[in-house]
Amino acid sequence: MTEMEEQSGPPTTLIDPIDMSKLDTKFREQIKSMPNSEELSACFACSTCTAACPIANIWQYKPHQLIRMIILGMKEEVLSSSEIWLCLTCYQCQERCPQKVRVTDIFFDCKNLAAEEGKVPSNIIGLGKELLEKGQLYTVTADWEREDLGLEPAVPGLSVEAVKTILKETRTNKLVEGGE
Amino acid sequence: MSTSNPVLIIGAGVAGMTAAVELADSGIKAILVERQETVGGNALDLYKAFPTDDCFYCFEGNRWRPGIRKCFYRSALIDQPNISLKMNSEVNTISGKPGQFTVTLKVGPQYIIPKKCTMCGLCIEKSKAFHLLSPQCQPQAVVYTPSINDDGAKQAEEECPTKAIRLNAQPTEETVKVSDIIIATGYHEMKPVNMTEYGYGKHPNIITQLELAKIIDPNGESGGVPVRPSDGKPVKRVMMVQCVGSRDENYYPYCSKICCVFALKHANILTQERDGVQVSVVYMDIRTYDRYERYYRTARESGVEFIRGRVSLIQPGEDGSLDIVVYDSLLNKYLKFSVDLFVLSSALEPPEGTAKLIESLGLKSASGFIGIADPISENEVVVGDHIYACGTALGPAEVPESVTQARAAVSKIIQSRK
Repeated sequence: MTEMEEQSGPPTTLIDPIDMSKLDTKFREQIKSMPNSEELSACFACSTCTAACPIANIWQYKPHQLIRMIILGMKEEVLSSSEIWLCLTCYQCQERCPQKVRVTDIFFDCKNLAAEEGKVPSNIIGLGKELLEKGQLYTVTADWEREDLGLEPAVPGLSVEAVKTILKETRTNKLVEGGE
Repeated sequence: MSTSNPVLIIGAGVAGMTAAVELADSGIKAILVERQETVGGNALDLYKAFPTDDCFYCFEGNRWRPGIRKCFYRSALIDQPNISLKMNSEVNTISGKPGQFTVTLKVGPQYIIPKKCTMCGLCIEKSKAFHLLSPQCQPQAVVYTPSINDDGAKQAEEECPTKAIRLNAQPTEETVKVSDIIIATGYHEMKPVNMTEYGYGKHPNIITQLELAKIIDPNGESGGVPVRPSDGKPVKRVMMVQCVGSRDENYYPYCSKICCVFALKHANILTQERDGVQVSVVYMDIRTYDRYERYYRTARESGVEFIRGRVSLIQPGEDGSLDIVVYDSLLNKYLKFSVDLFVLSSALEPPEGTAKLIESLGLKSASGFIGIADPISENEVVVGDHIYACGTALGPAEVPESVTQARAAVSKIIQSRK
């Protein structure tokens, strides 16, 4: 019992709590207002999304945690996270969600918001640059595989010029040029 | 034989009242014993009772005789000739053999005769010793507190237009012979004073769910506005903690079953019907069984914050608020909140006297509540020979469940009398 009396204060050095008053409570509404994200608050944190995710084992924040962070208002952490960009967009989480939360679509919304704030990883910028310059990510070459399958050497109807022109007028160009 | 003997019902809460009225309607005399000065038990403090979200006063009137005007039957409990209602009374001893019990009752003094009282309010003006629990209270009568001794009481007695007051009323002891006993003693909400980590009793803004229900009741002091008990200021942030004393081997090992829905009901009332209140619920598991899942879904949709984890520490702030650190086990992070009201969803425990009752009647105990006599029979209301129990006397239960059990007990009694 003497222990209790001697307690002079909480062991605040042991923990570094996230101060809820400093979080962005509007973030949840911002995400909810975006297409396909209305069901965000239906999440009851069962972690089915994380169980379904093929690559979450290497993520620092698991899918269910990202959803939690959005609901709590941890805007900075979510939009700066590498996870939203690492998402394979395989849609397994979304397919399995028992509360119909569109997890993958919500991550797309997060990517869009992150892009608006200029928080796009350099490798993604690199891919954008590639698209802008070449109109495609992988140049299809007339190799033996196409020949073996009896396909013509060039991809029919492939119009990289059109893609390049469109992308130049879109946000992709601004992102690559660092305008945003 | 014993068939003409009345049935003793201990406790006039949801279950006890239902049993009494069902028996009386079937032509069987019932003696309804209630320790307090109003019937209704814990449910009276609920404000809105799930699953229908009705005000409980309407709920109780409505249940007895569906299809007939509620208000009319508020008085049924004292007007129904087959029910003998004993207010402020307790069971003293029970002896005899099954089917022929002899019960001695300590009947409290009847200062006000409810059949005469018109609740005109004259006595309340004359003396502080009289007060009206609620306009819908049952029995429909004012309540007299003898400890408040002032001159006005005597005057009120003389001037009472219906001569309903008898200040010299004395407690009496009655002996009754009954054939069956229905135990409907209900529950008590645990006051978690021993759980030092939650600081209950140390800070006025740390309360239990039943205390919150009273604060948000429109009939309450603040007119339903959520206010801090410390200074009466409006509440902006509320935090609730589930499983306080329940599912805890140090206190009560069982799940108290209704606290999740109870808490969510309050969270929904606060977020949807009151202005600008943010609610957070700290939980281990949300157990909204059956159709009550809809409360959980509604709560999430209306912006109630759910945090899976436990409370680490509570520090009173200078302005009456509380700084609370919660461990979020889903994020593996600690979260720091500042709240106005900290509400504990405390365990439901057996009420005072249950252990004595179990011992004197030789019943089984189920974690302190009344145990079923033969679990294999699945007759959950049969707890002994000619002894039945219903409602939360058997363990945590919701209102519809209590009613169903009360009717089951009545049905068993009627069958035994054929």
